[in-house]
Amino acid sequence: MATESAEYAVSRNPEMGPDGSLVPSPMDPFDAPEPELGSETMLVNVGPQHPATHGVLRLVVELDGETVVKVIPHIGYLHSSFEKLGEYRTWNQVVTLTDRMDYLAPLIYNCAYVMAVEKLMGIEVTERCKVTRVICMEMDRIFSHLLWLGTWSIDIGAFTPFLYAFQQREKVYKLHEALTGARITTSATRIGGMMADLPEGWTDGVREFIDNLPATLDEIDGLLKHNAIHIGRTQGIGQISADDAVNHGLTGANLRASGVPYDVRKDRPYYDYETYDFEVPIGCHGDCYDRYLVRMEEMRQSMLILRQALDRLPGGPMDVEDPRISLPSKTDCMSDMESMIHHFKLITDGIPAPAEDCWYSVEGSKGELGMYVVGDGGPKPVRWRIRPPSFVNLSAIAALSEGHLMADLIVINASLDIVLGEIDR
Amino acid sequence: MGLDVPGIFGTGSPTFLTTKVDFVVNWARRNSLWPMPFGTACCAIEMMASAASNYDLARFGMERMSFSPRQADVLICAGRVPYKLAPVLRRIWDQMMQPKWCISMGACASSGGVFDVYSMVQGIDTIVPVDVYIPGCPPRPEGLIYGLMMVQEKISGESLTRHAELRAEDPDAAGKPRAGDAQVRDLTGPFGNSTQQNRLSGLVETDATERPKDRLP
Amino acid sequence: MNKAGSNPFAMVDEGPKPSDATVFPEDAPEAASAPHPSVEALRDHFGDAIVAHEVCAGDQHVVYVDPARNVEILSWLKADPGQHYDHLADLTAVDYGGGRPIQVVYQLWSIPHKRALRVKAELPLSELEIESVAGLWRCADWLEREVADMFGVVFAGHPDPRRILMPENYAEGYPLRKDFPLRGRFSRAEQTRRALRQNPEDDYFPAEMGDREPQLVASVADDEDDESEEVNHGD
Repeated sequence: MATESAEYAVSRNPEMGPDGSLVPSPMDPFDAPEPELGSETMLVNVGPQHPATHGVLRLVVELDGETVVKVIPHIGYLHSSFEKLGEYRTWNQVVTLTDRMDYLAPLIYNCAYVMAVEKLMGIEVTERCKVTRVICMEMDRIFSHLLWLGTWSIDIGAFTPFLYAFQQREKVYKLHEALTGARITTSATRIGGMMADLPEGWTDGVREFIDNLPATLDEIDGLLKHNAIHIGRTQGIGQISADDAVNHGLTGANLRASGVPYDVRKDRPYYDYETYDFEVPIGCHGDCYDRYLVRMEEMRQSMLILRQALDRLPGGPMDVEDPRISLPSKTDCMSDMESMIHHFKLITDGIPAPAEDCWYSVEGSKGELGMYVVGDGGPKPVRWRIRPPSFVNLSAIAALSEGHLMADLIVINASLDIVLGEIDR
Repeated sequence: MGLDVPGIFGTGSPTFLTTKVDFVVNWARRNSLWPMPFGTACCAIEMMASAASNYDLARFGMERMSFSPRQADVLICAGRVPYKLAPVLRRIWDQMMQPKWCISMGACASSGGVFDVYSMVQGIDTIVPVDVYIPGCPPRPEGLIYGLMMVQEKISGESLTRHAELRAEDPDAAGKPRAGDAQVRDLTGPFGNSTQQNRLSGLVETDATERPKDRLP
Repeated sequence: MNKAGSNPFAMVDEGPKPSDATVFPEDAPEAASAPHPSVEALRDHFGDAIVAHEVCAGDQHVVYVDPARNVEILSWLKADPGQHYDHLADLTAVDYGGGRPIQVVYQLWSIPHKRALRVKAELPLSELEIESVAGLWRCADWLEREVADMFGVVFAGHPDPRRILMPENYAEGYPLRKDFPLRGRFSRAEQTRRALRQNPEDDYFPAEMGDREPQLVASVADDEDDESEEVNHGD
């Protein structure tokens, strides 16, 4: 096995200084002056339909030989006007739009949206609902990271982890389906609760999933972590310092790989995250390899949270017992005229929200996912704004990839973990 | 491009030879479809799930996802298509070689779905001809596989003698809408496409109301 | 589930009933939230440039500032060690419609102090121009482009003021304004025709092109004067 012999086993890129900084290596082995030929650059258009752009991203790349001089991303090829459409829907109807936005972690978006609206309306959800949403969000963090892991390894040149990751994802698909009836577009949350209570045996399914996942993660980690090709392709690539990362607005694993321990779950805890025992992994080099390590560790930490949440899942009602917010039960509707009228009124009129605005952010799978909702006293939002983490993360790609090779640009793009549905909205 | 010389492959009635040649050609085409995955949104994730090991599209001869349109046979448009992306989709369709087929995967590609908004194409059949529409938001992998099998069944009904008329496409139409103004207006009426269910289904000839026939060995 | 024989209507009196509800929104007394340290400091430093202050959704502090001094105030908020709002979480705008001014909203977060602040600047529709903060936070670059694209707000001094989501030659206006119809201003047929008339390779920005000629990959017939397009509908 060539990759196991000593000469290929690299622990850290030798071109890196001890502090992780990139030591410039001599590019020209002959130490000759630049020939005249090098003065002309070339424009290469990558996308919008390209397998390595993770959707319909278009990158106009100016190349000097194979070195990237300048990257100009073009987005908007998937602009579906979610925000405008949301202004024409009632507060509960918007939930359906949220999971079409980030189809890699739909439940996080469902939850984040209703959390913002509940904060705006001053609704406190039940304890069971809180823990259920924590389970949903952590499960979908793993769900999203698994897809990232698969596509990331394809972009590096390995196909096997993609298949392994998708086998695990199929289990989450089944859990989604049991919970909501849909594999991706879950729309599981409602204002003041969930669409339905957890189905019987669902928590056992989640337990089974997190019991089996570590073996897969270890297997994929074994394929990639010490793999000389993987290390050579990612270490020292797309480096960004902590200050620059904050200034560029990076969040999530991309920021934490640069050493900034900013995690909304820890810094602005919601849903009792401060009572869960978990760590926030951070990197120290801020390169693609550290982003890989941070995300792998995040999946393991999410499993820890999931275990604790499953243990503490209380009984009791799922929805708030406020007839202005929650729909009456079907039994009530069929037997009680008042409940029937009320059900009709809630569906047709919607729930009014105060004429205020509210910003709420959660730690999404891609970074800080903010929801900004503005009400005017009526049943529809005046403005519904998503702070898209991948949009802001992607805006740093030009700064990250300048000076690297064209092939590294693909790796950097993969390491940012973008989803175009949410970038273009 | 069909051969329009009269004779064996001409426009006359099918002979023993042409039917057998048809059979072989269709068998070969049907079982080695190379899809061009034009994946944009949620449906693309389901398309990836179909290609992964649980559903394994390779069982149907779609081992190779052809990311270059020039080597692809069937365009799978998976996901919503905004107007900004419309010329790209049309360009990719124009770049594909004949014979080619198109699958519109999911509600957004077929009709615009929930996105009856300023930025979205209300059904890609206003831009490119569609052979099979797959409903769902997004369709399950089984749905995609079923749609691909419908394409396979459609292929098995094709004939070289009728090829010219079946797959006729005007080279001058490259880069132009497939539907005329009036048709676009009909398809995307003032109250949204949900009240206008009639599609440009002239090309869809398969009447497979039940499960497509099992593939021949 | 009702017990067999019991009156099914006996159960329905449990729990709150719709008619029990008082008028929605919260008549509950607003919890007096803790004063925000940055608000006082801002008032001390900038005086009447701080137009108003309000508390939203219980504990979220909103400061309305004079749009002419936004960069001054925001750079102070970012640089002052007592404030240190180093993370611009979001930059967006809100149009309330009815001719009311458009609000440009900055969501700030201080990573060291773990503190949030929302800064708003109101721009009258007649004068939609505000200084860009892309020099303070690099992430404001794209966020401002998006606001400009969607609301038509001009960000003075922005390094790259192009449309970002809509095509560069989009002619229908600014989609997120309240006066913009949901389905756009043009008919679907016109929108389709305009979309397909574009050459995807054409919309290079001059700065991207340098002094190059646009590369023509395929020649798509561009017939401006052909009003009756006869297209093969395949039937």
